[in-house]
Amino acid sequence: MHSTVTEIIDDLSQVIFGKKTQIKLALTCLFSQGHLLIEDLPGMGKTTLSHALASVLGLSYQRVQFTSDLLPSDILGASIFNSNEHTFTFHRGPVFSQVVLADEINRAGPKTQSALLEAMEEKQVSMDGDIYPLPTPFFVIATQNPLYQSGTYPLPESQLDRFMMRISLGFPPKEAERKLILGVNNRDYESLPKRINSSQLIDIQSEILKLTISEPIIDYIIELVSYTRQSGVFANPLSPRASIALGKAAQAWAYIEGRDFVTPDDVQTVFKSVTAHRLGIDEQTSELQIKQLLNAVPVPL
Amino acid sequence: MQKHHNEKSINISLSIIYGIVVLFLMSELTPVFSALLAILCVWNFTITIMNKPKPSTLYANILAGFSLVLLLYEIGFGDTVTLFVAMLILSSLFKLLQAKTKKNYQTIVLLSFFSLSTVYLFSQSIMATLCVSALYVFNFAALALIESKHSLKIASKQSGKMLLLALPVAVFLLLFLPKLPAFWQLPGPKLAKTGLSESVNPFDIAKLSRSDELVFRAKLSKNNPPAPPYYWRAIIHDKFDGHTWLVSDFLKSQQRIKKPVSNTGQFNSQYTIIAEPSSQPWLYGIGQAYSPNSDVKNTEQGLLIRKRYLSNNINYDVKSSPLNAPQLDRINHYQNLTLANSEQYNVQSQQLALSLYEKNNSDSAFVTALTEHFLNKGFAYTLTPEPMTGNNTIDEFMFNNKRGFCGHYASAAAFMFRTVGIPARVVSGYLGGELNKQDEYLSVYQYDAHAWVEVYIKDKGWQIFDATAVVSPERLNGSLSQMQSLNNEFTNNLDFSLLRFNQIPGFNWLRLNLENLDYKWTNWVLGFDQQKQSSFLKRLFGNSQLWKISLFVILSIVIIFISYFVYLNWPKKTKIDEHLLVKHYKEIQLWCAKNGFDHTASQTPLHYLNLASEHFAEKGSLFLQFAQLYSDVRYKGDEFTQQRKKHSYDLVKSIKTKAKRSL
Repeated sequence: MHSTVTEIIDDLSQVIFGKKTQIKLALTCLFSQGHLLIEDLPGMGKTTLSHALASVLGLSYQRVQFTSDLLPSDILGASIFNSNEHTFTFHRGPVFSQVVLADEINRAGPKTQSALLEAMEEKQVSMDGDIYPLPTPFFVIATQNPLYQSGTYPLPESQLDRFMMRISLGFPPKEAERKLILGVNNRDYESLPKRINSSQLIDIQSEILKLTISEPIIDYIIELVSYTRQSGVFANPLSPRASIALGKAAQAWAYIEGRDFVTPDDVQTVFKSVTAHRLGIDEQTSELQIKQLLNAVPVPL
Repeated sequence: MQKHHNEKSINISLSIIYGIVVLFLMSELTPVFSALLAILCVWNFTITIMNKPKPSTLYANILAGFSLVLLLYEIGFGDTVTLFVAMLILSSLFKLLQAKTKKNYQTIVLLSFFSLSTVYLFSQSIMATLCVSALYVFNFAALALIESKHSLKIASKQSGKMLLLALPVAVFLLLFLPKLPAFWQLPGPKLAKTGLSESVNPFDIAKLSRSDELVFRAKLSKNNPPAPPYYWRAIIHDKFDGHTWLVSDFLKSQQRIKKPVSNTGQFNSQYTIIAEPSSQPWLYGIGQAYSPNSDVKNTEQGLLIRKRYLSNNINYDVKSSPLNAPQLDRINHYQNLTLANSEQYNVQSQQLALSLYEKNNSDSAFVTALTEHFLNKGFAYTLTPEPMTGNNTIDEFMFNNKRGFCGHYASAAAFMFRTVGIPARVVSGYLGGELNKQDEYLSVYQYDAHAWVEVYIKDKGWQIFDATAVVSPERLNGSLSQMQSLNNEFTNNLDFSLLRFNQIPGFNWLRLNLENLDYKWTNWVLGFDQQKQSSFLKRLFGNSQLWKISLFVILSIVIIFISYFVYLNWPKKTKIDEHLLVKHYKEIQLWCAKNGFDHTASQTPLHYLNLASEHFAEKGSLFLQFAQLYSDVRYKGDEFTQQRKKHSYDLVKSIKTKAKRSL
């Protein structure tokens, strides 16, 4: 199965140049059944990445462009009166798909944001007293513009917590950008082959949960988490949900790296993506702050 | 009123505690009053067991009033200490009988701590100490029951632990707390009963009931112990009023005046005496005794007298020389000769004495003759003589009865010596003692009390004349309890005690061992006086001043308490056994740091080892191998087999040794 993972990464690297780590992190998030938040400036390849992920993993894909006038029913769907049968029929919204790309999520109003986030948490939609389960696997990949842009509604901390990871792609290296300009080897994400199907993805997900996570690793996660609670530096210390996410993400990363056990290095690698948005750290300053945090906590031997 | 959940067990415990305290104090209180206290204990115990209500306040108060009257009538104001002890216990028991609230019980438990301590006023033996300690535990348990819902068993267990914790503190205080002179002293409690008294009148005693109470112990010196028989002199009776031998005013006045006593005589024996507490002034010594102890007064007659009354044991060294005072001055001569009776009584005895004297006409020959008279004329020793009354008691004894104990013989012999003009006096004290071979000490009990005669023979000085010894010579050696012939009679006269079972080897062994234990207790704990303490401290600290020692003691206690509280508040670190690989990893880290490649705490082991393998390129593979091993065992969860262990040792070793070569 691991060779497939390597192929997936290689495929994605042909679409997003020079961003192997980000690709792996995004895969880590999906493999550990979490939702992904990509924060970046427009035009950095957010949509491309999410679309490419969906097609490589063989998942159904829907894209919703969030705007300030978007309503909850625009995402979830609505009951419409059927004049022939004299009944209300539920018309499923774009959320009923395995991968939902919520583009520029912070441009929609809080009510709409909440509707999506509720669906993310419950993995089902309640409408007019009926419950409609969402497909499995179900991922939301949300993109977000940096908050200083005008016309944005920042997601509250409680809702940021629902995203397992926040990553940012960042500017491409010069060499990659040259390729982009030249259009060398530039493949459309729609032309990518399906490497796995959704049932295989579920297998991978359950396999990851079986990875060995030894005592020193758990100690390390606990040390890190309690540091954020005790140091007094952080306004929003990490919750137990964050600890769980950290463990799962480290397992998924180890899986992608081709190991069946987790090392403290894995924890360090995924730490920023998993915790920065929960701690309320801006993507711009997160690099330095997270580095300081990691330096402050000794690694249990 | 809310019923306290542990009320029953608290009531039972306190009843039992007071019952035992009353048992201990029974010999000090009068029988009627002891019975009253016992009834109160039993009453409270019974109503608790039977779940009956406590008596009403009015009823109990009326009863208490009557009991108080009884108390004053029975105990009286003569002995204030006993009076107050009795009042304390009486009031505590009545309080217990009426106790209903939590506060009531707290008061009683507090009072019973005092009540328990009063036992020590009268007895400090090891048995009493153990019993009282056990009761303390019990009392602490009762105190705990008031506040908690534990069972009595758990509470007792915890209290026992507390007492054990307090034990080292007690030992520490005993050893190091300066023994200061008492700020106040008890107004003469009746501490012990003695078999001796200032007056000797044996004739009206029908039955000599003997007590097995310990009087003193004598530790014989190794170099020159006194030779047996041991005549422990206590009182000299030089005045005879026709019935009774008394201490003359002259002798008393001599005791009162503090004369420097010359100790020029040749001392030929040495020993140490540990005397039990007594309210009587006299102490014990052999022959012409002299003691340098500051608490002991020496008299010209070679007797030892207490200077002050102490509620604890007195421990003094004695040096003894033989009695012979070659010259008897005129006053003494007169005292010992003419303070005899009027001539109209005991005529027969006087005639007998004169006739015996006339046969030989010499003092020393008279002694022999009198000895033979006692030996041959059918005299016998008994503890149950017939009482003799009237004015001619000595005659009656000498010619009709011929059965008596030491008092009879001494009294008669001294009378007869005086009749023929030989100065004589009755001396009472103790004879013999039970020798403990293991530790070379003698235990002298009240039943060893004895009376004998000292006669003044010209040119020889004072001599002991013991008619009792003539009649029953075995009495001279050892204690009365060891005498076979008198044993039945002896034990019959004894209060119930272990001595009764003297004949059974096991019991005798037990008794001797208990006795030995008590000796050690007395010698080391009760007898640990200022003198012993200062010599102990001198051995420990050299010649320091007392204030330094006090300061040391106080500082030590303060330090102990502070460290205890620091310990209590110390953050508790859970100690985890460090994995061998972790140790090795640390060793490698240390080695790398020494060789200029330090690590940071946030570096993961694998990351660090990888960096190290690049830094120490020639040993790179070793670091990578160790990293592999580390990740396999610590993260992958592979078993740390013997082989891997060896591998780890080897890697660490080769990482280190190679470096040495390269250096």
